[in-house]
Amino acid sequence: MTSTQHRTTVWPWIVMAVAGLHTFVASMTVSPDVVQGQLSRIMYVHVPAAWLAYLAFGVTMFASAMYLWKKDFRWDRRALASAEIGVLFTALAIGLGMIWAKPTWGVWWTWDARLTLTSIMFFVYLGYLALRRTTDNLDVRAARSAIFGVLAVVQVPLVHFSVIWWRTLHQPPTLLNPEGPAMDTAMVITLLIAVASFTVIYVAMMFKRIELARLEDEVLVADQTSSGPVAGQAVTAPGLTKGS
Amino acid sequence: MTDAGATPGFFAQVMTIVRRDLLRERRSGEVLWVTLPFGAIALLLVPLAIGTDAPTLQRIGPGMFWVIVMLFGVLIAIRQTSAETQAQRDMVALTGLDPAAIFVGRSTASFLLLVVFQTVLGAVTIVLYNVTPTGWAVLPVVLLLAASGLALLGTLAASIVSTGRSATALVPLLVAPLSVPLLLGATQALEAIRLGRSSLVWVLLMATVGLLLAVAGILSARPLQETA
Repeated sequence: MTSTQHRTTVWPWIVMAVAGLHTFVASMTVSPDVVQGQLSRIMYVHVPAAWLAYLAFGVTMFASAMYLWKKDFRWDRRALASAEIGVLFTALAIGLGMIWAKPTWGVWWTWDARLTLTSIMFFVYLGYLALRRTTDNLDVRAARSAIFGVLAVVQVPLVHFSVIWWRTLHQPPTLLNPEGPAMDTAMVITLLIAVASFTVIYVAMMFKRIELARLEDEVLVADQTSSGPVAGQAVTAPGLTKGS
Repeated sequence: MTDAGATPGFFAQVMTIVRRDLLRERRSGEVLWVTLPFGAIALLLVPLAIGTDAPTLQRIGPGMFWVIVMLFGVLIAIRQTSAETQAQRDMVALTGLDPAAIFVGRSTASFLLLVVFQTVLGAVTIVLYNVTPTGWAVLPVVLLLAASGLALLGTLAASIVSTGRSATALVPLLVAPLSVPLLLGATQALEAIRLGRSSLVWVLLMATVGLLLAVAGILSARPLQETA
């Protein structure tokens, strides 16, 4: 293994650890909310996780469109990596939202437009990942998942604007509120730090997953092109030497 | 007199595919004798599970109808995925038919079957749940838009996974979440009529979704056929 390969493998882990620690320290040192108390700290992970889901699915759409245009497998791997990370962070956002909702709303789940559409977005991208597993043919897999990746992104604006289009229990956008953030300045700054740290974590995870996807593709191609044993190879000619 | 070797026009190609799909359905009876009774049984089972309180059933009846249509309608829209072999797909591709015409033809055949499916299940819902239909001017439009949207979505999803492993299991997973705008549009349009409000925005939502699906299906038809 060369030193360049070693750096490529290790640096994302360091970046993820530093950014994660950064978010943890920032979210634990800011003052708690007057009304919600310590429970408000969930927001510093919940909101960045939801933001990353949007970003990740947007990148999946862009990479899918680029694959359809360029037919370059690097774009296909970027789309896959981003979709997987997006699904992970969507699950995190839903899970943390439920943990916050139980003491605040009194229920784990409510039939709110934002919650329902987010869970639907989660299943749409699970379908995208399942679609990628239906074939080992790289060309077929890349083309079909790229078309679905472009179509699926329609969920993202639906989720984001659901709190504006419908009367929901979920609060309106926190940072992207048209009338400005309705929060204390210290909390806004902490939230922005958390969002920035999560974005750095996303970039680091992308590098790791793309690297892994490239290796997976190489193994797949090697398996498909390797010459296996020929039929009848195990059958040996009978001994026909004299006297046998 | 026409040239025997001339390529038929787009519409003629569409009609060829529609006739083929409907002929296949007439021979197999998959929708009429399997999916339709299955949907009716589902409508029959719900009251057994949640109780037979008449006002409750009357209230949930329309919603149950749409849920059954969306979930079981997917089976109608994807039936060609399980019915067609790779050799048959190759044969259709070799005929030189326009892939977009194949997509439109399949969607149209599914649309017609879904209209029949909806009509029969609608009658079953009215009888079993004692539902009184309202909005006779908008109801047919909503039914037609729901059928066309589901047909386009199912045909597109079936094209995307047509040759993959576990294709028939995967298509419902792809279609069900993406059919939410259609389900919302259909239920909310009829709810708006019941409350004496305008249902235009929901009808427009369904029409827009249908249009987007048609454009996506036609544009992706050739790339999908080339990778089949």
